[in-house]
Amino acid sequence: MFSSAAFAVDQNSTKPNPKLAEMIAAKDESGKAIMGPEEQTYFNGLNDNLRELLNQAVQKETITRPEHLAALLSLQLRPQKMELVLQNNCLLCHSDSANHSADTLFTLTPAPGATPSHMNLKEVVEDVHFRRGVSCAGCHGGDPTADLGHAHVKEWPEKDRDKNREWIVQFCARCHSDPTFMHQFNPALPTDQLAKFKESPHGRTLLEKHDSRAAQCVSCHGVHGIRPAKDPQSKVYARTVPETCGACHADSKVMAGFTRADGSPLPTTQLAEYRLSVHGQALLGRGDLGAPACNTCHGNHAATPPGIAGVSRSCSLCHSANASLFDGSKHKQAFDRNNWSECAKCHGNHTIAKTNDSMLASGKGSLCGDCHREFAKDNPNCIATADYFRQTITRIDEARNNFSAISEKLAAKGLDVEPISNQLTELTDGLKKSRTHIHSFSRDNFQQVALPAEQAVQNTDALVKKAREEYNSRQVGLAASIGLIGLLMLTIYLKLRRLEKPGE
Amino acid sequence: MTLAGSRMGALSFLNKKPDMNGPGKGGGLLGWLDRRYQLTALTEFLRHKEVPLGSHWMGWYYLGGITLFFFIVQVVTGVLLLMYYQPGETTAYESIRFLTTKVPFGWLIRSIHSWSAHLMIISLVLHMFSTMMLKAYRPPRELTWVSGYLLFLLTLGFGFSGYLLPWNKLAYFATTVGTNIVASVPLLGSWLLQVLRGGQDVTINTLYRFFAGHVVILPLAVVGFIGLHIVFIQRQGMAPPLGAKVAPRGMKFFPSFALRDLLLWLACLMVLLALAVFLPYGPGIPGMDWELGQKADPLAPAYPGIKPEWYFLWEYQLLKEFPPHLFGLEGPQVCLLLIALMFGIWGLIPWLDRRVRRDQPSPAFSDFGWAALLFLTYLTLLAWDIGAGAASGAGDELTALRNIARVCAWWTLGAGALVIVVRYLRYEHRWFLLSGAALLQVTLHGLVGLTYLLAGVISVVLAAVWIVVAHFVGSRTDRRSET
Repeated sequence: MFSSAAFAVDQNSTKPNPKLAEMIAAKDESGKAIMGPEEQTYFNGLNDNLRELLNQAVQKETITRPEHLAALLSLQLRPQKMELVLQNNCLLCHSDSANHSADTLFTLTPAPGATPSHMNLKEVVEDVHFRRGVSCAGCHGGDPTADLGHAHVKEWPEKDRDKNREWIVQFCARCHSDPTFMHQFNPALPTDQLAKFKESPHGRTLLEKHDSRAAQCVSCHGVHGIRPAKDPQSKVYARTVPETCGACHADSKVMAGFTRADGSPLPTTQLAEYRLSVHGQALLGRGDLGAPACNTCHGNHAATPPGIAGVSRSCSLCHSANASLFDGSKHKQAFDRNNWSECAKCHGNHTIAKTNDSMLASGKGSLCGDCHREFAKDNPNCIATADYFRQTITRIDEARNNFSAISEKLAAKGLDVEPISNQLTELTDGLKKSRTHIHSFSRDNFQQVALPAEQAVQNTDALVKKAREEYNSRQVGLAASIGLIGLLMLTIYLKLRRLEKPGE
Repeated sequence: MTLAGSRMGALSFLNKKPDMNGPGKGGGLLGWLDRRYQLTALTEFLRHKEVPLGSHWMGWYYLGGITLFFFIVQVVTGVLLLMYYQPGETTAYESIRFLTTKVPFGWLIRSIHSWSAHLMIISLVLHMFSTMMLKAYRPPRELTWVSGYLLFLLTLGFGFSGYLLPWNKLAYFATTVGTNIVASVPLLGSWLLQVLRGGQDVTINTLYRFFAGHVVILPLAVVGFIGLHIVFIQRQGMAPPLGAKVAPRGMKFFPSFALRDLLLWLACLMVLLALAVFLPYGPGIPGMDWELGQKADPLAPAYPGIKPEWYFLWEYQLLKEFPPHLFGLEGPQVCLLLIALMFGIWGLIPWLDRRVRRDQPSPAFSDFGWAALLFLTYLTLLAWDIGAGAASGAGDELTALRNIARVCAWWTLGAGALVIVVRYLRYEHRWFLLSGAALLQVTLHGLVGLTYLLAGVISVVLAAVWIVVAHFVGSRTDRRSET
């Protein structure tokens, strides 16, 4: 029986009708309450509107069992979301395990393998469409407020819609390509996804070659748990994009038979390479959302290989200074002549490693040295310039590391290291610029930024010397003070001895 | 004549009236001053003043003077700091930064001020415990103890208020946590917090209050109590060893004792200078680190590992050991009541120690002093952590805390055992019940794994039962021997 003491509700709030009250107080065969304490607390906190909706749902028998009610309350949804759930008869019916088998039942605890992955009750209530009020009928048709009825939309293929996925893009585009319709929900959202998709290799494979292995909307966005791209739980959130793309592109079975433009098989090593790369480590390791994922270089709905010319364009989106210096260099012409991809030639593509100064080495097996020995044999200046770059940068870098360590020690000794820190900032800035200006491959251009850095090295050196002198003078001052105090102590001690000499 | 009576004539020179027609002592300036201020009487007093020599180590007599020396250093360096310090939201931190980086010897002044503050508290604590162990608080010197005890509290106030003045990140959050404790005071808590902070939160208004307290209110109070403390000592003389019925052999205060004092002060100055130059930001242990760091930002989130200065660590740890609720009160409230009770007992020791009032040895109170030291040591080590948490490499916090408690317990037990052995062999002490109870609590908490409070209750109850039974058995034995 329902116990009023169990619910600390306001006297004015809507009371549960007898049916609902009975469900709330129901116990299982072992005498244990079906509603757990968390569900009871959640129920106690519901506002009048939600209580009334629950009363109505119980009255209309869209909620008939205490277990079903407990499952819904256990979602602990915010009032707005709970309101949507309680007004959605489709969801209420399809979340009651007494009415549906695993294929059509939204469940709280999907059994792996036994339950379709898209029938997750927790996910569907988080879906961006559901939250904006599109809900089930938006895609499936029918009337969510009606008690029964399954008038599904006509756009769905009658047969084989799981095997032939071409219909999906057109189906989503009904709304997403309609600017007027989309404006009601999110005016900032583009509506050109289908147009872009059609031009992409994914789109061409699916729509022209009718190969349903190609990715379409649900491959990347999911089905019932679709979230905005900025939601960290979204399949297209920046940190998740590599996994989402890799679901197909790292799977050799899925990718079997797909080829590049030159006819060679499309590799499946990109995800593994990306994970090891400086970009992958920044995005996946450190969570730096500024680091590029697959779509940053390849695009989203129009995802495509960038091509030789496109590589530098992709890189220059972030590394604009390097790209602009390269464009003005002699290398640009040489690379164009040889049809080499600009950045990727030295840095690679998916497996871009963190750069280091040894790349400038001129010996055998080095990046600069090997290339120049092969392609610029008649120009000894090139190797000399590379050597100059490397020596200068190494000198500045070593000075910075050395002075940083010295600065910390001096600070611990209580010396004012602010001027040193300022110079170190200039030095670091100069070092960064110098590394960037290597891409000009010009000694003059490089010197414009390297010389101030070298000047900062000299300034720091002078400041460190000054600080050390200051510390030495402190020690000398201390020694002199201790000497004077010691002398005074000795005098007092001798005086005491003379005063306390027996017989005096 | 009793020892107290022999001192009644001290400071009688204060009653002398000027004798403008008198001869004065000598001519010149001294004679001129003497005729007006009767300096001869003062010098006569100093000439005859003696320091009692007894069975205990003479060194304990110098601790008060050393504390006074550090206080003088605090005043001098404090005044110098005041010449540059500007309290204010945009000036407090900046002025200290300017002082330490740009002003010649500014770094040295701040470093000496900070070192001297900590050394003053160390010497003050040693002075207080030596007075306690030697029973120098016994009649007629109860008020000397009370004035010294109040000076101790005022000095803690100095430490707490001075900590906030640089307006840096560490100070800001430590003061926020520290002042929050006041909120647990029953009934008056929120009002007291408001008064202390000058608002709901620690703001620049709090800084103004702390500044006024640190440079005006507390110095006035401390100077007043130091004056009182010294007048009491001059009036009654230094306490002779316990049991001395007649004036013991003495050392001339002037010049013998005064010159020794001066020697020690100079040695302290030497150590102070060396520490200030070689470790300008402190030794780097928790609660003894005064690197300026970043400016306070009330909007920034508090960072983990905020700890108060080392002399507040035991209170900080004790608060952590209390559960959220106890006996129908909030845990911190009960803890504050306990701390207030402990401080109250400490201040009233001269009246509680009834045996020593009859000039008899009171081993229970000696042991009480040692138990208090062990109690403070264990809590301080727990709060300090002494590296045990990190060294254990424990992943979860609970295991790390257990490791810290175990390591700190071993250290405290080691120190406690050493103290007991030395007291037993060197000083022939035979009463160890309270220090034993303190060590039992350490064992039950640190090694057995009971909660700190449960371990404390068990230890206190066992000690109380022991005392009652011993008293009962003792009374029966006495009655039998009488019959």
